[in-house]
Amino acid sequence: MLHKRLYQFVLVYFIGLAFLFTVKGVFNLSDYVIPGISDIYNTARRVFARYFFDVLNTLSVAIVGHILSIAMATVVGIIGRLSNWMGSLIRTAAFNIQAYPIVAVAPMIFILLGDGLSSRLLIAAMICYFPLLLSFIGILSEPVTDIEHFYVHSGRMRWQLEVKIRAFENMNKLITVVAGSATLAMVGTIVSEFIGASAGIGYSIRIALYQSDLSKILVALFLIGIFTSLYLAVLELLGNIVSRRWGKLEVKGERQKA
Amino acid sequence: MIECKNINYRYPGAQNPVFNNLSCRVGDPGFHALFGQSGVGKSTFARMIAGQLNGFAGEIAGKGPKKIYYSYNLERLPGWSGVGEHIEKVTPEANKSGISEIIESFGLSSCMDSGFSRLSLGQRNRVNLARYLLQDFDLLIMDESLANVDEATREQIIFKIKAMFPEKSFLYISHSVAEVSRFCRNILVLRDFSKSPQTLTIEGRDNVRGTDVVKKDLEQTMLEIVNAS
Repeated sequence: MLHKRLYQFVLVYFIGLAFLFTVKGVFNLSDYVIPGISDIYNTARRVFARYFFDVLNTLSVAIVGHILSIAMATVVGIIGRLSNWMGSLIRTAAFNIQAYPIVAVAPMIFILLGDGLSSRLLIAAMICYFPLLLSFIGILSEPVTDIEHFYVHSGRMRWQLEVKIRAFENMNKLITVVAGSATLAMVGTIVSEFIGASAGIGYSIRIALYQSDLSKILVALFLIGIFTSLYLAVLELLGNIVSRRWGKLEVKGERQKA
Repeated sequence: MIECKNINYRYPGAQNPVFNNLSCRVGDPGFHALFGQSGVGKSTFARMIAGQLNGFAGEIAGKGPKKIYYSYNLERLPGWSGVGEHIEKVTPEANKSGISEIIESFGLSSCMDSGFSRLSLGQRNRVNLARYLLQDFDLLIMDESLANVDEATREQIIFKIKAMFPEKSFLYISHSVAEVSRFCRNILVLRDFSKSPQTLTIEGRDNVRGTDVVKKDLEQTMLEIVNAS
C-alpha cells in the first residue's frame, strides 16, 4: 500500500519534471525561469534538511487539524442525522456554509488570531471539515432498514446503536472519505502558511516565490508529496485494520453489496 | 383480536388504491395465513397492523394482542457480532431458556459462531425468525419468513412453532397455496382493490405434528383459496 502510494507519487512528480524540462528545451528558457537538473540538485542539497523539518511541521499541524475536523464532523453529523428541527437546521447550515470559500475567510483569521499555530490549525481543520461533515451527515442519516427494523420494532434502538449500525455498514465509505480529506488538511495547512503564517513549508514556498526560485519550490513539492503519500498510506492501513477487526465475521465485500 | 374497518389506502403518487373499504379480523390465537397475489398489498396490510404504516383512512382497533411484531425475509443481523452472540443479546432474560430448543429445532446449531453474512439465504431467514420467536409477542407476522428454506425444514419449523406457542397468534404470509392450506387455521385471502369484499376467509386444515391431512380435503381448501383470490 505504502510503496504503491510512493511509487505513484514519484511517477507523477517526475512526469511533471520531465514536462518542465521539455518546455524549457522547446522554448529555450533560461535557468532563471526553469532551473536545470544540476541547479535543482544543488538547491536540494542546500535546503533539504530545513524543508524536511518544515514539511514535518506542516504535516503535524495538518494531522491535528484533520483529527479535530473528524471529531467535529462526527459530533455534528450525529446531531445532523436527526429528522427533527435541529437536524434540519444543522444540515441546511452545513450545506450553505460549506459553499463559502474558507480561503477567503483566512485573512480575517490571521488578523484576529495572529500568524501562529492557532490560525494554521483552524484553517486546516475548516478546509477539510465541510467535505467530511457532508459525507458524515449523508451516511449517518441514511437508515439501514434491514438491520434497524428489528431494533426499532422491539424498542431496543438507541442513538448509539443507530450510529454504530450506519457507521459499520458504510465503513468503507467512511474510510475513503477520511483518507481523502487528509489531502485537504495538508492543502489547508499549506495554504494558510502561504497566506500569512510564519512557519511551515507553505511559508517557505512563499519565500521561494518572492525569490523567484523554482528549484526550492520543486524540492518543497517533492517533500510535500512524499509526506502526504506517507500519511495517506498510514490512514489506509489504519482503516484496513479497523475494518478487519470490526468486521471479522463479515464475508469480504458483503457490506458493499448489501 | 384486531378489527380492521373500512381501510382505505393509496400510496403517494399511485393511481389506484391498495385498499378500498377493506374490513376483516385478524389476531386470534393460532397459526393463520395472509394470502394473495403479488402486489395485492399483503406486506402493506401487515405493516399497518403492526403500526408501522400510517396515513390510511379507516380504523384498526385491537382488543387482544398488545405486542405485535412484524418480521420479513430480507432482514439482516449486524455484522460485528456472531449469530449466537446476537441472539443471546436480544433475547429477554425470561425467554433465554428457549434459545437452545428453537435453535436446535430450526437446524441452526452449526451457525451460532458464524457471521450472518456467511450464512445461506435459508439459514439467514431461520435465524431472523428465531430471534423474533424469542421476543415477548402476542401476534407475530411472518412475511415470507421461511423463504429459501427447504420444504421438510419448513414443515418441521411450523410444527415446532405451533407446538411451542399454542396461545400466541401468527399471521404467515406465503405464496404457497399448498403450505397455507395444510398448516394454517384460517387463511385471509387478500384480493385486488376492485373486488368486493376485498378479503375472504377460508378455513385451512391446521395440520399439527403426528396427524395426517386427507388429500381430498386439502385439495378442496386449495381450490377455495385459488377461487377466492
